[in-house]
Amino acid sequence: MNTGVAVEALTVTLGAFRLDKIAFSLSRGTILVILGPNGSGKSVTLETIAGFHRADSGRVLIDGHDVTALPPERRNVGFVVQNFGLFPHLSVEQNITIGRRNNGDIPVPEQAKLPRGDTAALLGYFGVAHLARRMPSALSSGEKQRVALARAVAGAPQLFLFDEPFSALDTQTRAGLRDELLSFLRDLSIPAIFVTHDYSDAMALADAVIVLRDGTAVQSGAPSEIFRKPANPFVARFVGVENVLIGRVTEYSDGIVLVAIGDRVLRVAARCGAPSRERELAVAIRAEDVSIVATGVAASDQAANRLSGRIAEVRPLGALVMVTIDCGFPLKAYLLAPQARTLRLAGGSPVVVEISAEAIHLMRK
Amino acid sequence: MRSAPRLCCAVLAAAAGVSGIAAVRAANSATLTIFAAGTLAAPFRQMSALFEAKYNDVSVQAQFGGSVKMARQITDLHQDADILAVADYNVIPKYLFGPPAYATWYAGFARNAITFVYTEKSKYADEINAANWYKVLARPGVEIGRSNPDTDPSGYQTVQMLNLAEAYYKQPGLEQSILANAPLANMRDTETSLISALQIGQIDYLAIYRSDALQHRLKFIDLPAAIDLSDPAQAATYKRGVAHTKNGDLFGAPIVYAVTTVNGAKNSGLAEKFVAFLLGSQGQTVMKDNGFGTFSPAYAVRFEAMPTALKALVTPWPGASG
Amino acid sequence: MIRSAARNLLWRGSAPSRPGALYLVCWFLGSILIGFFVVPLIALVLSQTGTNLATVAAMPDVRASIALSIEGAFLSATLAAVVGVPLAYVLARTNFPGKAAVTALIDLPLAVPHTVAGIALLMVFGRHGVLGEPLQALVGLEFWGTLAGIVVAMMFVSAPFTVNAARIGFEAVDPRLEKIARTLGLSPWRTFLRITLPLARASVMTGVTLTYARSISEFGAVIILVYFPMSAPVMIYELFLRFGLDEAAGAAVLLLAVSLSLFLLLRMLAHANAGSREMR
Repeated sequence: MNTGVAVEALTVTLGAFRLDKIAFSLSRGTILVILGPNGSGKSVTLETIAGFHRADSGRVLIDGHDVTALPPERRNVGFVVQNFGLFPHLSVEQNITIGRRNNGDIPVPEQAKLPRGDTAALLGYFGVAHLARRMPSALSSGEKQRVALARAVAGAPQLFLFDEPFSALDTQTRAGLRDELLSFLRDLSIPAIFVTHDYSDAMALADAVIVLRDGTAVQSGAPSEIFRKPANPFVARFVGVENVLIGRVTEYSDGIVLVAIGDRVLRVAARCGAPSRERELAVAIRAEDVSIVATGVAASDQAANRLSGRIAEVRPLGALVMVTIDCGFPLKAYLLAPQARTLRLAGGSPVVVEISAEAIHLMRK
Repeated sequence: MRSAPRLCCAVLAAAAGVSGIAAVRAANSATLTIFAAGTLAAPFRQMSALFEAKYNDVSVQAQFGGSVKMARQITDLHQDADILAVADYNVIPKYLFGPPAYATWYAGFARNAITFVYTEKSKYADEINAANWYKVLARPGVEIGRSNPDTDPSGYQTVQMLNLAEAYYKQPGLEQSILANAPLANMRDTETSLISALQIGQIDYLAIYRSDALQHRLKFIDLPAAIDLSDPAQAATYKRGVAHTKNGDLFGAPIVYAVTTVNGAKNSGLAEKFVAFLLGSQGQTVMKDNGFGTFSPAYAVRFEAMPTALKALVTPWPGASG
Repeated sequence: MIRSAARNLLWRGSAPSRPGALYLVCWFLGSILIGFFVVPLIALVLSQTGTNLATVAAMPDVRASIALSIEGAFLSATLAAVVGVPLAYVLARTNFPGKAAVTALIDLPLAVPHTVAGIALLMVFGRHGVLGEPLQALVGLEFWGTLAGIVVAMMFVSAPFTVNAARIGFEAVDPRLEKIARTLGLSPWRTFLRITLPLARASVMTGVTLTYARSISEFGAVIILVYFPMSAPVMIYELFLRFGLDEAAGAAVLLLAVSLSLFLLLRMLAHANAGSREMR
């Protein structure tokens, strides 16, 4: 039965660090991204699934087989690390062929796309046939990634694990490699767990995301959900929400919550029932959802919040411009650079901003 | 950088100051350098302390080792020594009389005997005595240690003694049967380095001097004077004992410790004083206390070449060759 | 051409301001040390004439002692590798209570005076020793006056070099490479033999070579256990006692020539292998 990968209530203690009841499941061909800051336990999770740490409790199942007690060499996983971890003293071909071909513990299902049993075919599939005799130090990052994948695939893995492979690369290279990796993984249809601290990786690759903090999963779901509906201020800041504010509920009626922040009041579309009055909440507003309107323009239909304030700072960021506005509380807005030029914004000048009631997200404090 | 020259000057001044102080101090106190045989270590250390107490501002530095090695340190390595004292009086004429002449006379000041020492852990320790020792030492399984006859006096003296014993007890084959229990593995360049092996139990018996036995509080066998090389009067008998070594055939001679001053030494006046001390009553007492036999007065060879102050303490060696 | 070569050598990689002053001082101080090593050895070699060397080389005792020293040092280095490299691996990869004590313990033989080491070894491996007695009874292995005794004394003073160098070599191998090898299906043993050890090879070879060099020159500990058969340092000492400086120096130069050439050969082997694998 091709059930992919499942992790049940995995708890691991390593010295002072504790990974607490991590659980998820992954079907074939899907990619899970584990997102979190350094020290949150991402690598520990990965290494436990690979078999390098003994779990205190919980299980790891690969294709329905309980591998929790198996040593790493019998688990059938492919492991790719930062800088790809090629063996520097072996050629490309030796790197790829050094591992086992076929693992006795877990039966390998037939897959037309998966090139196995033939080194030449494997090299050809990943486009590295011409590099067979090269040493890893003479390869580019892209070539190294392909060799690392080929090496992992050679062992017919049922699961791929990626431990921040792009961390040391520049943005340009990283983006290119990410796309290539995505296309290989889709093609091979092997489940993959990708660990990173960069949420743009999550957005680009993930079918599902788990956010880890200090060994505990604080939110899991589809990337768009995490992006638009973070569960708490930590997640919100981690996925790049620029405005995280604290407010107080003053009123609730008809699906609209009134939240007071400082001396301003915002109208927020309520999604899950009525929050209790006087309750303190966290408010998340993405900078791109804050629109700067030219003075004199009438309110658009959707606009539920109109705030006036003064421009505190204008910061050009290449294609975007970040504007910080003081409306009783600091508010950040993104504009496209051409827009910013048209509006001729200057520090100190008065300005009006609009935020749709749907665009504001309420979170537990 | 302006501070660099200043720093250099400060360092040079300090160095000059220190060396100046050292020079002044050196002029005040003298250091007497003595090279002596290993077996003289204990008595000479005691004598050095007494000498330093008697003469202020004198420090005695003594170095101990095999007699031949110490002699070679003077002749080959050109090390500075004021006095040389050896376990075999022949070493001085053989190595130091030259040419070039590093010494011109020597005085025999103490005597010793070759014996075997053992501990209560040694095999047959409870049985062995002066009558049966040569039978016990020949028994299988007994491990005997000795020094190398090619490099050390006690080594060839042991062989000479066993050679004499064979004739004395009228036991042909005695020498070979005992030496069979003293194979190459049990040999060292000087006998004193085997004492720890004896104490650990690696060897049962060690051929060594009686003075060492008394100093290290080890049991020893009382061998007859006719064979243990202790009596200068029996020199003619001893000559019949022979040791075949890489340096040629060596014939037995009484074990007499000899001393001389080194020609051209830095502290010749002080050296003479020390030899006088050694040959006088105080020195002789120290030697006796450490288990050595003494001569009163000491025997001298090349008497006419000796410093006047020392002549009063010695008498020409009867019958000894120069 | 010489000036530009010298300039390259001295001023490599320096900043525009005060180019090379630091390197100049370093070279100056360094050449004092190099001179300190080289001049006495050259003086020793130059003190010998060809005939003298030939005479000494013709003495079968001398040749035998050099061969014995080489044999003993080779065995010592090999045994040190067999037990020292695994220890180095464990020290590099694991933490355990008392690790600091073990690390300090490994360096202890280097601080023990050689004579003391020899006596301690005699107590253990001698006729009545806690290891010597059973070994003699069970397998007939003796250490007093035998090659085994020479090897044991050599190993005691020189094995730390193997452990320390190998440990540094293993620590430099990224543990993640070992983890990846495991996920590829290699057992811990195969991982060690095919990944870790080859990558640490240069360091391990350096350590073993140092152990060999230290072994061949050991005197104080060896002579407590073994005087006959004579190792080269003991032979040189005996030649000095019997004949004097010339013969002793001659044998010393012979031993030096043989040791040096083997030493350099081993070093070149270690670096050649490491160099051919890396294409920097």
